[in-house]
Amino acid sequence: MTRYDYHKPETIEEALSLMACLEGAKYIAGGTDVMVLIKQKKLMPKHLISIRNIRDLGSIDTGNGLKLGAAATHNHIDGNDVIRRWYTALTDATGHLGSRQIRNVATIGGNICNAAPSADTACPLLVFDATVSIIGPWGRRTIALDDFFKGPGSTALREGELVQAFHIPGFGENTGSAYIKHTRRQAMDLPIIGLAARMTIGTDKHGGLSRCKAILSGAGSTSAILAGIEGEGWRCEDARIAMSVVAPRPIRAKKAEAALKGKVISGKLLQEGGELAASEASPRDSIRGEAWYRTDMIKVLLKRAIVRSIERVVRPDDGPDRARTQ
Amino acid sequence: MRKEIVFTLNGEEMRADVEPHWTLLYFLREVCEMTGTKEGCGYGECGACTVIVDGKAINSCLYPILEAEGKNVITVEGLVTSDGALHPLQKAFIDNGAVQCGFCTPGMIMSAKALLDTKEKPAEEEIKDAIAGNFCRCTGYVKIIDAIKSCGEGR
Amino acid sequence: MEELPTIGQRIPKKDAPLKVTGSAVYIHDLKLPGMLHGKILYSKYPHAKIVAVNTSKATKLPGVRAVITGADIPVFKIGVIKDNPPLKTGKVCSMRDEVAAVAATTPEIADEALDLIEVEYEELPAVFDPVEAMKEGTPLIHEEMKSNVLKLPWRLLAGDVDEAKKNATFLVEDTYTTPWVTHCCLGTSGCVASLDLNNHLTMYSNTQIPSLAQKDYIEAMAAMGYKDRKVRIIQSFIGGAFGSKLDTYCYEYIAIFLAAKTRKPVKIIFSREEEFFATSPRQCTITKISQGCDRQGNLLFREMDMILDNGAYTSWGATTPSVMMLPISSLYRVPNVRYTARCVYTNNTYSQAMRGYGNPQATFAIESSLDQLAEIAGIDPYELRLKNANLPGEITPQHFKITSCGMKECIEEVQKRLDWKGKHGRDAGRGMGMASLIHVGGGARVYKSDGCGTIIKVDDFGKVDVFTGATDMGQGSETVIAQIVAETIGLPVDDISVINNDTDVCPWDVGAHASRTTFVAGNAALGAARKIREQILEVAAQSLDEPPAFLDIKHGIISSTRNSEKHIPLGKVLRSAHYMPHGRMLMAEYFYDPPNENFDKEFKGNLSVSYAYGCHGVEVEVDRETGVVKVLKYIAAHDVGKAINPMMLEGQIYGGGCMGLGYALGEKMVFEKGVLKNGNFLDYKILTAKDVPPVEAVIVETDEKDGPFGAKGIGEPGLVPTAPAIANAVYDAVGVRIRDLPITPEKVLKALREKEKG
Repeated sequence: MTRYDYHKPETIEEALSLMACLEGAKYIAGGTDVMVLIKQKKLMPKHLISIRNIRDLGSIDTGNGLKLGAAATHNHIDGNDVIRRWYTALTDATGHLGSRQIRNVATIGGNICNAAPSADTACPLLVFDATVSIIGPWGRRTIALDDFFKGPGSTALREGELVQAFHIPGFGENTGSAYIKHTRRQAMDLPIIGLAARMTIGTDKHGGLSRCKAILSGAGSTSAILAGIEGEGWRCEDARIAMSVVAPRPIRAKKAEAALKGKVISGKLLQEGGELAASEASPRDSIRGEAWYRTDMIKVLLKRAIVRSIERVVRPDDGPDRARTQ
Repeated sequence: MRKEIVFTLNGEEMRADVEPHWTLLYFLREVCEMTGTKEGCGYGECGACTVIVDGKAINSCLYPILEAEGKNVITVEGLVTSDGALHPLQKAFIDNGAVQCGFCTPGMIMSAKALLDTKEKPAEEEIKDAIAGNFCRCTGYVKIIDAIKSCGEGR
Repeated sequence: MEELPTIGQRIPKKDAPLKVTGSAVYIHDLKLPGMLHGKILYSKYPHAKIVAVNTSKATKLPGVRAVITGADIPVFKIGVIKDNPPLKTGKVCSMRDEVAAVAATTPEIADEALDLIEVEYEELPAVFDPVEAMKEGTPLIHEEMKSNVLKLPWRLLAGDVDEAKKNATFLVEDTYTTPWVTHCCLGTSGCVASLDLNNHLTMYSNTQIPSLAQKDYIEAMAAMGYKDRKVRIIQSFIGGAFGSKLDTYCYEYIAIFLAAKTRKPVKIIFSREEEFFATSPRQCTITKISQGCDRQGNLLFREMDMILDNGAYTSWGATTPSVMMLPISSLYRVPNVRYTARCVYTNNTYSQAMRGYGNPQATFAIESSLDQLAEIAGIDPYELRLKNANLPGEITPQHFKITSCGMKECIEEVQKRLDWKGKHGRDAGRGMGMASLIHVGGGARVYKSDGCGTIIKVDDFGKVDVFTGATDMGQGSETVIAQIVAETIGLPVDDISVINNDTDVCPWDVGAHASRTTFVAGNAALGAARKIREQILEVAAQSLDEPPAFLDIKHGIISSTRNSEKHIPLGKVLRSAHYMPHGRMLMAEYFYDPPNENFDKEFKGNLSVSYAYGCHGVEVEVDRETGVVKVLKYIAAHDVGKAINPMMLEGQIYGGGCMGLGYALGEKMVFEKGVLKNGNFLDYKILTAKDVPPVEAVIVETDEKDGPFGAKGIGEPGLVPTAPAIANAVYDAVGVRIRDLPITPEKVLKALREKEKG
């Protein structure tokens, strides 16, 4: 058993100064990763600095866009109705991480700073163009989340720095999002591959959203919805695609995004998007999934995530359904 | 290096000197000798160590003991009332055949309690979600879900 | 049938109150005064010479009380053919090989000491594939055996398979493989060994074979020079077993050696990682199968050849072919059978018993192949099964005498509840499949004795203590035994206590295996209960002045059946018989050994007094884009003879079914060069509550004449036919056959692609 001292600062400044003066110190939030690493002797800190008790670090602010405190727990995020309505891909992720017990303590900051290629909240935050505000011994800085991940377990954080919050802009009614976590189990699982999409759609022809609703009502499966959309001339005004477990870090599929942008949505377009996204990935064989399968699933999940995003533009009140499988 | 903490354990004030590297589970089992809470894996993957902290189910094997400071901790030992009456969930688990080897049972009941404390009549999917982090290898979960459901309906 | 007050009732498990309150003491919870904690150092290589072990640094660590290596223990080997020394000397043959062990005042210190033990290895070439291991020139795992192929020639012949092949109109041949899967008991393995001043051993254990473990430990004690010592086994509450505790493990002997060396009780508890890599999984198999039938669909022959990866040592895994023979010879009526199996040493982990004991592996091949046969014969697989179903009164090619048999009823239940006739054979992304099972249901004579003893004692107040050899590991045997005793005597079940955890107190039993406990221990309890009832009526006859033949006991009151005025509470009768000159105290004992037979040299004989049957059916949906198989509906119909406790019986079916679903769809121990890569709950996919489909347990009662109140065994059958039922349903849904478990999305998608290519 690794022996360490445990500190519970109540302000960020206190946390930073503890980190500065203590040797062998490590930040801990929910502890669901850090405690495991310690038990596995992969991490042997002399001090743990808990950021759980720092006021405001666990808060969620939906006043202007979305601001997520780094110590906000998955469960806290999962229960937020504004996020569920406007940032649904994030709820898809927070609701399917680990178990209820894990979600009750695991923080979004921890999930991101752990920088696992499979991090569940990474894809949604990437498609929402999240920025990361960082505080450290040299002051504050803000970087794009896309620049934050460096590799497996490796981030842009410098020594002593701490993530304070994630900032996400607001999106309009014609934007929908979805995250699909492709797993072997319905809970307690890491993704074989995860894929998030955000779609902003233009429905200027034919009278906008109300017509969409009529077309999509009753259409259940992805292919049925796609068939309903085909030929209606709906345009992808903007798109973001992010994928996990297909590279050393969660990545955006930027070629696919570019290919979708401005185009009329069709099965063929999504097929092309999927092919491009797959070309941007470099998955590996592991005990959790084979590379060929992950590559193939990118194409399937891209299509499904985009269709689900469109569905959510049209039927925003449906929200993520926890019981739903892929 | 021991530090003093004070928290509420099963309704009573607990004051103890603890090593900072202890987990809540270690404290409960090895220091308090409250062995009702089980360790099935030590990594937060099986749920056998589930207890309730401030109303929320957590894996006590990953919970640093010093985080319990000032909090309200409930373990399976805290469910029986002072006159010896079983909690409705405990009774439901017995009556519905939800217990076989019993090793997952305390954690399972704590997860169920955390759910029922926030939602009186949970839907089956909500029950499954609440106990998805509690592995059971004996029962196939069917009778556990029945037990929790019966408890929700019985209120 | 008349409803009985206790038998057939949904009586809650007797120990459930202890378990829901957290008061049940498992091995992990046990502390003895002065107790030390033991930890084991395992091998770093799958195959290597041990050049040197230096324990001096570890020994000096404060708190360490003993460090032992193979050199410190007597020459002594465990296992089915005694090939496994508890601590290895000379060389290691697998990653789970025990090289050294420590006893210390805390588990943390013991753990730290392990890091201080220096072992110098010289790596040896290793072999991980049993087919490879059979070839000339591959490294030998045990040089003294001269070959990697075990001298356990499993061979069963009945009829004339070659002739039958010639006569078969339809014939299929294929190869099926199954992986290692593990029990995943929620409570990990562990024990506390304690020696008294005279070197008598008390072992606190969670074994499921107390009487056999006693014998194993006595041998170990003798090897240590403690001859003719007494061994007492006290079982704590068992956090799941499923076969994993059917053999003794090296760690138990290590605990004994450490206890002897330190003169203190020594506790060893496995971590979850150890539980995954250092306990023995279900045997993996490579099976070649061929079956044929005539034009009408009558099965003519079945031929199977298996290769089993034995791993580095030999435990019960190597003997699973003896149970595989059950379905191979006797699942459906098949007159001509040929079966051979070879067990081959490799540098992998070694296997043990796991629920079903070989039956799931064999049934996967048989029932998958049967659907292939149905297809080429142009017969509905349900019709083919019905046509060839076993029947009461039949004698099978392996000489099993089938008594009660509800196989047809089970198949019909599945067919009906799935709406089979309307829905099978659509190839529309949705499909259904079924598979049946046969298993021993009336004990299994694998040892010279298949018996169980029971002692019943009645106290002065009418409360009954039942001392049984039968182990409860969660399945509920103590409750079933209490029900049988309560019903027989005429008492409420609450008045019965069952004591089942101490070899000093409880009579002999061969162990909780082969789904035998309800049948064998139930019959033993029944026998003892009948005797005690006679005694009660004898003494009551004097009190009431009424012949025993006219007395009955109901709810603890003894009354005359012809004169309602004459009645007396049980306690009063007992006290009056006790507190008098030459008084008596009521006790009875009974040893039941079922009239079943050991196999003869040809592996034939009536292994069990009765046989359990069942049929599982599933409806699945296959996602053609992802290969994901979703089970929509799951029917599990079982012929159980008589449900003594339907609630607990359903628990066995649901629990078995859930384990079967894991075997079918997700569970697999992944080894790379002998190293387990997924030894944790995150990567080893047992089902969560969210993964369990709607399951319907259907109980078919056939009233087995030799069973207690008509009951047969149900412990294992629940998971036997799940995997082939799902494989058959996947085929029905999308036309691809998965021959290698588990049926993962990758495999389904790959097969779909290949099918598209033609």
